[in-house]
Amino acid sequence: MSNRKYISISFNDEVPMLQAVRKLRDSNETILDVLSPFPVHGLDDALSIKRSRIPVGGFIFGALGAILAFGFQAWVFTIDYPLIIGGKPYFSIPTFIPITFEVTVLFGGLSMVAAFLIRSKLKPEIEFESFDERITDDLFVILIDSGEEKTTVESIKATLSGIQTIKINEHTNG
Amino acid sequence: MDEQFNFRKKYRNILLTIAAAGLVLTVISILIQTYGASRIWANVLLNNQYFMGIALGGAFFVAVHRVALSGWHTVLQRLPDAMTAFLPVAFILMLLIYFGMNHIYAWANFEGHNEVLEEKKAWLNIPFFFIRMIVYFSGWIALTWLMRRSSDTLMTSSEMKYQNQRRLFACLFLVFYAITVSTSSWDWIMSVDPLWFSTVFGWYVFISMFVTSLAFITLLIWLLKRLGYLRVVREDHVHDLGILLFSFSIFWTYLWFAQYELIWYGHLPEETTYYITRLKDFKPLFFINLGINFVVPFFGLIRFRSKRQLGWVAIIAIFLLAGHWLDYWLMIMPGAVGEKAGIGILEVFMTVVYASVFIFIVLRSLSVGPLVVKNDPFIKESLTYES
Repeated sequence: MSNRKYISISFNDEVPMLQAVRKLRDSNETILDVLSPFPVHGLDDALSIKRSRIPVGGFIFGALGAILAFGFQAWVFTIDYPLIIGGKPYFSIPTFIPITFEVTVLFGGLSMVAAFLIRSKLKPEIEFESFDERITDDLFVILIDSGEEKTTVESIKATLSGIQTIKINEHTNG
Repeated sequence: MDEQFNFRKKYRNILLTIAAAGLVLTVISILIQTYGASRIWANVLLNNQYFMGIALGGAFFVAVHRVALSGWHTVLQRLPDAMTAFLPVAFILMLLIYFGMNHIYAWANFEGHNEVLEEKKAWLNIPFFFIRMIVYFSGWIALTWLMRRSSDTLMTSSEMKYQNQRRLFACLFLVFYAITVSTSSWDWIMSVDPLWFSTVFGWYVFISMFVTSLAFITLLIWLLKRLGYLRVVREDHVHDLGILLFSFSIFWTYLWFAQYELIWYGHLPEETTYYITRLKDFKPLFFINLGINFVVPFFGLIRFRSKRQLGWVAIIAIFLLAGHWLDYWLMIMPGAVGEKAGIGILEVFMTVVYASVFIFIVLRSLSVGPLVVKNDPFIKESLTYES
C-alpha cells in the first residue's frame, strides 16, 4: 500500500452514489471500495461482489456445536456421571435439546463474527486515518484507483456530469 | 399491470369434476367400509379446521403487513384476500358439526360423574359452543370483508383517510384474531380430549394456520405463473415468502417442543395422556410429523438460493401442506376416534373434495377485480422491491 494514489468521490445520498457506481464501472474505472453508513440495496450487484461465504461457515460451526453439545451431554449422563433425575432414563433426548440448541447458536454466532474479523483483517492495533469525519456518519464515498495516468479528477468529473456529488478529491497513500 | 385472472370454464369444470368425483368416492368409501360415525365426523372437523386455517392465515398475513406499514407484499396482496372468501363457506360447514357433536366430543351429552367435566361445563356446553362459533365467524367474516373493501376503495382514491381506515381494520382484526384463534382452538380441537389441557395450544394451532397459508400462497403464485399471470412477482418476493416459511416452521417446532418437553418433564398423568395415546398407536406418524414440518423446511430452505427459486419453494410448500394436515390429524383423530383412527381412502377423498372446493372459491374470488392492486400507496415500493 505504499504511495498509492486514489480519488474519493463524496455523495449526500445513496441514489446518486449508485448511479455513479454504475457509470464508473461502465467506463472501466477500478473501484477500490465504497463507504456507506448503511447497507445499500443493489450495491453488491452494481459492484458485482459475490455473496459472502460466511453463512456456510456459520452452518458448519453450528453443526459442530450441535454435535459437540449433544455428544458431551450423552457421554456425561450415561458413562461419566450417570444420575437419575426425576425418574427419567439416563439417555433422555428431550433434556439434551435446549442445551444443544444453545450451543449451536453460540458456535454459529461466534464463528461468524470470528470469520468476519479474520477475513476483513480487523485486529486491535489497526490504524485508521479518516480523510473526512462524515464518513462515519452520513456520507457516501466511492474510492477509485488513480494509479493509471488517464484517471484524473477532471476525467472523473466529466464521467459523472449530471450526478450530484459533494466533492471529488485526490489522495496519496491513505 | 392491468392483469385480470380469467377463471375459464375449462378450469371451473375440472375443479367441479374433481369435487364431484371426490364426493362420490367419499360416499362409496363410507358405504363399503365400516368406519363408524366418529371417524367420518372427525374428518369433517379436520378438513373444516384445515381449510378455514388457510383462509384465516391469509387474513393474518395481510393484516400484519398492513399494521407494520410493509410494502413488499402488495403485488401479491390479492391472493390472501381471495383466500378469505372461503370463510363464509367454512362457517356453514362448521355449523354442520352440530349433528356430529356426540361422535366427536366426549363432553357433549356426557352423563355420569366426572369432576373435571363438571367444572368445565360452564365453558364446554353445546349452546355456548355454538354461540362462540357464531361470534368467531361473524367477527372474522366482517373484519376480513371490511379489510378487502377498504383495499378496493384505495384503488380509486388514495386519500389518507382511507389508508388510516384500512390500517384500523387490520389492527382490529389482529386483536380479535389473537383472542379467538386461541379460544376457537380450545373449542374445536383441544376439547376433543376434554380432560387434557395445554396453555400453548392456541399458539400452536395459529402457527399451523399461518404456515399452511404461506405455503398455499406460494403454490397459488406458482400456479398463476404457470398460467401466464403475475409476471410482476419476482424472485425477491418469493425470497421473502421463503424466509417466512422457513422461520415460522422453526417457530412451529419451538412450540411443538415447548409443549412436549414440559409435559414430559412434569410427568403428570392428566397431561401425559395426550402424548401416550399418540405415541402408543401412531408412533411412526408422530415422528413423520416432526420430520416433514421441521427437517424438510429447515434443510430445504436454509440456503439463500433455495429461498429464491419459486419451483423449489413450491415443492417445500407441498410438503408443509401435507405435514400440517397430518399435524391436525394427530391433534384430532386419536382423541376423537381412538385407536381405530387411520389415514385411509376416506381421509384422502374427503380432503380432495375440500381442496377442490377451496381452490374453486379462491380462484373465483380472484377473478373478480384485478390480479394486482392498482393505485395502492405501497404498490410502487412493492414493484421495485429488492430483498
